[in-house]
Amino acid sequence: MIHLKNISKIYSNGTEALKNITLDIEPGEFVFIVGPSGAGKSTFLKLLIHEEKATFGRIRVNGYDLMKIKNRKVPYLRRTMGIVFQDFRLIEKMNVFDNIAFAMRAIGTPERAIRKRVSFVISAVGLTGKEKSRPSELSGGEQQRVSLARALVNNPEIIIADEPTGNIDPKMSFEIMKRLVDINKKGTTVIVVTHEHELVKEFGGRIIIINGGEIQRDERIPAKIHEQENEDENEGSGDNS
Amino acid sequence: MKFSSSGYLVREGLKNIWSNRMMSLASVIVLVSCLIITGAAILLSVNVTNLISNIGDDNQINVYLDYDLSDIDSIKLGSQIKKVKNVDECDYYSKDEAIKEYEDKLGDVYPFMQGDDNPLVNAYKVRLKDLSEYKSTIAEIKNIKGVASVSDRGDIARTLTKLNYFVAIVGFWVVLVLGIVTLFIISNTIKMTMYSRRFEISIMKSVGATNAFVRIPFIIEAMTIGLIAGIISSVVLISIYNPIRETAGHTINLIGSSTIPLDDLWFRIVMGLSGAGILIGALGGFISITRYLRKEGGEILGW
Repeated sequence: MIHLKNISKIYSNGTEALKNITLDIEPGEFVFIVGPSGAGKSTFLKLLIHEEKATFGRIRVNGYDLMKIKNRKVPYLRRTMGIVFQDFRLIEKMNVFDNIAFAMRAIGTPERAIRKRVSFVISAVGLTGKEKSRPSELSGGEQQRVSLARALVNNPEIIIADEPTGNIDPKMSFEIMKRLVDINKKGTTVIVVTHEHELVKEFGGRIIIINGGEIQRDERIPAKIHEQENEDENEGSGDNS
Repeated sequence: MKFSSSGYLVREGLKNIWSNRMMSLASVIVLVSCLIITGAAILLSVNVTNLISNIGDDNQINVYLDYDLSDIDSIKLGSQIKKVKNVDECDYYSKDEAIKEYEDKLGDVYPFMQGDDNPLVNAYKVRLKDLSEYKSTIAEIKNIKGVASVSDRGDIARTLTKLNYFVAIVGFWVVLVLGIVTLFIISNTIKMTMYSRRFEISIMKSVGATNAFVRIPFIIEAMTIGLIAGIISSVVLISIYNPIRETAGHTINLIGSSTIPLDDLWFRIVMGLSGAGILIGALGGFISITRYLRKEGGEILGW
């Protein structure tokens, strides 16, 4: 799905944002990219969506060779991804429905298909009844769910979430993360960039720590939340018995 | 781009005009001024060309005789003019007839202008057989004793040709400068719209909208501005054309009969100016959106 081999990115001002990165992300994985500011996380995401081109190495995403991809093919690469932004990026003059539908209209989907799919996605992220609300009438968590719905609406193979909990309170962060986990369980690859270590420990999964443009650690840790859920389930079954 | 999206793209383009109405209005005003000046220059040139061609086609010259030449000598001189090879017809036009014509033309003013004597001279209206021998024929007639002067309409044609050339040159530079200014204004209008919609553009790009899809609403916006300006300037030119034509006709007799009637022109004016407006709009819109997409428009995460 995502294959990086000896990838380096040097910006025109001489900054070496990524140094000789090699990693593979397989379909259906849930991956956290963690690291301090300036570590190279954003550059890593920019390479995946081809906003930037790597200086050296080889990079393949969803079957596209990003070192050779033609400009006219880039939109089609991006249609295989859904992006969730830290600042939600919702259009204030549009209501919830239109904000989500916008992602489908932008790729030329017919209106009938849009109506059907958007309604489905709205219910999937728990926003039924909020279709006509403007972004400013929603809480931070709800806005991020709209952003998530917009990322999901074109049925992408990968969801890329760039600090999705950066602008919302801890309770809402937890809910957003749970939704991302649910999406992942249905088979979509999820990549979450964050610097919130607590959240990472809570949900577990594959953790890639980037620092100074290099991969410091690439490991899998168990999710606390799963342990807790298992404990709850055990306790629940104990009560029943 | 799919056909199903065309309605959406057109709606978006029209919405842009309204949400950015002040800049759109400024663009329309500048473009209208440019198109009116362009249209006026072209109309003037077309009419002058027509006038020149009419003068060229009109192979009549006036031969004025000496003031002292008696009426009988004047009539006799006609046979000498008729002997000139290239002369087809030769009609006598006495000074009494000429003064009568003035009297009719000037009406009430005439009695105040009257002196003791008729200041006009006897003349002949001469039609030529072959216009290519125009100059040599005139020279031959001028050599006849008793001929004072010959009205050389070639002079008028030459003056008008110079005027036409001047109109074309000045018109070209005015249109060029105004065209660049208009292009600049339109591309700035589109830039403003893009700036206010950069957020949407970045989202569109992030979900995989093609550059063509992003571009179309902005180009439609610019083309609509051009079309509106084209229609307004056509209406203005059409409504002032006839009054100007009539005024010019009253002032100079020659012009009145040689100008092109509005009926023959209005459709061409509307089509030409609307087409030019749309073209300038499309070009201005295309330039600015393409430049934007090449630079800032590619930013998604780093926006």
